Formats: sequence, C-alpha cells, structure tokens
Amino acid sequence: MNTKVITGLALSFLLSVSAGAQKPEYTIKVMPPGGPTPRLADGHPDLTGHWFPNGAGQGVSGRFGVDPAALGTSEPGTPREERPQLQPWAEAKIKAMTPTELELSKSSVNCLPRGVPAIWLQNPYTTMMVHKPGLLVQLYEVLNNWRVIHLDGRPLPKNPEPFFHGSSAARWEGDTLVVESVGFDERTYIMPNGWFHSEDLKVTERYTRPSMNYLYVQVTVDDPKVLVKPWTSSRRRWTLGDGEVYEFYCTNNKELEELQKLREQELQKK
Amino acid sequence: MNARITGAAAIALTVLVCSSPVVAHHSFAAEWDSTKCREFTGTLTKLDWQNPHPYFYMDIKDADGKVENWSFQAYSPVTLRRNGTDRQVFLDNIGKEVWVRGCLARNEKVHAAAAGTLKFSDGVLRQVGQLQD
Repeated sequence: MNTKVITGLALSFLLSVSAGAQKPEYTIKVMPPGGPTPRLADGHPDLTGHWFPNGAGQGVSGRFGVDPAALGTSEPGTPREERPQLQPWAEAKIKAMTPTELELSKSSVNCLPRGVPAIWLQNPYTTMMVHKPGLLVQLYEVLNNWRVIHLDGRPLPKNPEPFFHGSSAARWEGDTLVVESVGFDERTYIMPNGWFHSEDLKVTERYTRPSMNYLYVQVTVDDPKVLVKPWTSSRRRWTLGDGEVYEFYCTNNKELEELQKLREQELQKK
Repeated sequence: MNARITGAAAIALTVLVCSSPVVAHHSFAAEWDSTKCREFTGTLTKLDWQNPHPYFYMDIKDADGKVENWSFQAYSPVTLRRNGTDRQVFLDNIGKEVWVRGCLARNEKVHAAAAGTLKFSDGVLRQVGQLQD
C-alpha cells in the first residue's frame, strides 16, 4: 500500500475520532445484547431476523472506522477453531491441486450454491430467517438461495436425493435447535480450501439465540471417508441487522473464464 | 507526521486489513497479481452493474499518450451498496476523472485490473475491492 493511500486512510479514520480522545471512537461498533431472547408462542427461541456474519449487525467490508472486535465471525473469547483432520488420501488429493485448480473448484467462482454447511462457514453475505412453530425458512442473500427446515419432527429420508442443502430433520434440545442433514450434492465443499466431502456426509447444525441481537450457529461435520474424526466449528456469530436482503442473481461471471485461461497457460508452461 | 496521526494511520490500516478476509470468499491472489498493482487516473466511461462483480470502464492514457479503455472489477454490488458506493455514485461520475489503485490480471489479460481503492471527483477515498497491497 502506498503512502498516498495510507495518508488518505488515516485522514478518513481521523474524521471518526473525536479530537483529543485517547481511544478511537469507532463509527461501527460491536452490537450490545439488545435484550432477552425473543420467543415464539410455543416457548422456543424465535430465530427470525436479518442476520449479518459479524458482530456489527451491518455490512463491514470496505468500510472505515470499524471496531476490530466487530469483525470476527466466531463467538469472542472462545478457543480457536480446530483444523479438520483429513484422511491421508483426502489430504493428498487437495495438496495435488494447484492454486488455480483449487480456485476453479470453489462454489463462489462457479456461481454455484454454497450449500450446507458452507453457507455458515464461508458466506460473507446476509441470511434472513423466518421462523414460526413447525417451520424455519432461511433466505440466503448470496445467489438468492433458500432452504425450508420442517420442525414437525419428521425423520430423515431413507434414500435422500443429493441436494445442495441436503435433507434435514430438526429437534429442540432445551433452547438449542439441532438440525441434522444428509444427502448432499457432490459439488458442495465444506470450506473454500478444497475440503470436499463424500456421499456419507452428515451435518449437524446447532442454532442458539442467547439474546435479541445475537445468533450462533455451530456446525459438526461427520464424514468418516474423508475425516479421521468428526469436526466441529466454533460457534459462528451472526448479529441482527436491518435493511434489504438484496437480489443476487449471478448473471455476469467472468472469473471462471479468466481462471480457465490462466490454468491453460500454466499447463502449457509445464 | 506526528505520533497521533501515525497511530491513527496504523489503526486505520489494521481495520482495513482486518476487514479484508470478511469478504474474501474467493482468493484475490489466484486471479490477480499483487506484485503488479499501480495507480490509474482516467475518465469513467461505462458501468456494468451485475453480480457477482460490477465492472467499470475508464479511458486511460498510456505512456505514449494513446488512450485505451480499461475494465476494473469491484466488490459485489451488495458489498458496495452497504459501504456507500452504490450504482448511482458511479453513474453520477461517468464522463468525470477518477483515480483508482488496482492490480493486473495474472493471466496477462490486457487493459484489465481489479480495483482496490478509488476516488471520484469529490476526493473521498472509497474501498471498492479487496485490499491487494
């Protein structure tokens, strides 16, 4: 970054700092809890809301004056997320990919749905939830994707079709909504680092809303063909915001073609 | 530069650096060359405001004085709206001078770059793409 940009950033930031103050006053702050957990008529936590993947309850990318404490996507003060332990063959398969091949595998580059559980692990856009007794609807801003989770106790299907969001069965454990899913499309990835899955993938999501403004989503990935042992994410932090869930049809994807050209150039140089 | 301004610059830089991974759902470095970043000044000619990335176009004079039309990739429309650089701001500046810092494509596509920071004629520094350098 050159001097001109640094100076510009400093001046921009100074505008949000009160004169003579010892601590900077961030214009975008960490959301307070905002009151007790809202509840549905059946007594369970109401997960309804427009959720942002950070601690600010608003967009933070490309903005100045953001409190660094509001940026993280995991619950603050909790241990660092463990790395998944992949089976040797799976690790080797990922390591054999060039950076360009790895990029070409990503759902974001291909304008494909992130799928479950990636929608909670690699998604910088918002999610609106509409929750009523017996039903949870998730409206993902990215690519205008949506998912319906029935909360009426129906079991998992015996022969699920492969879907990007899988097929789900849900239950309450106290104030935690536990959603188990199976049957995933092979084009989904757990993370955008090449971590793929087998047809035996089972995903468990745990949803909690400890206060009005906070939603936590913790994911467990069970996939014995690919993982040495099941992997559990940190509790991913989402905060309540307002404003629109915007349209996001992926109609002008130029990156795929450019990356394919780059890959061809790399192969020719070999 | 006194100590207070230096400190503020450091914090601003930290905030910006920390902001970057939030939107980095795919790798900047895979497609764009962070060793080939530079400043561009030219006239905004066109905006193509679509997902997953808007592209804006600028007429830029090269070292020999020849004008070439360059394309610049930006954040997603959603991210730009939420950080205050919406479609209308671009449209209002078509035909006007714009300053951009951006990086060239790794596949050596000509007259194409990914935009990072940008200033329209109002002089306000805007982050319109992932930080690259």
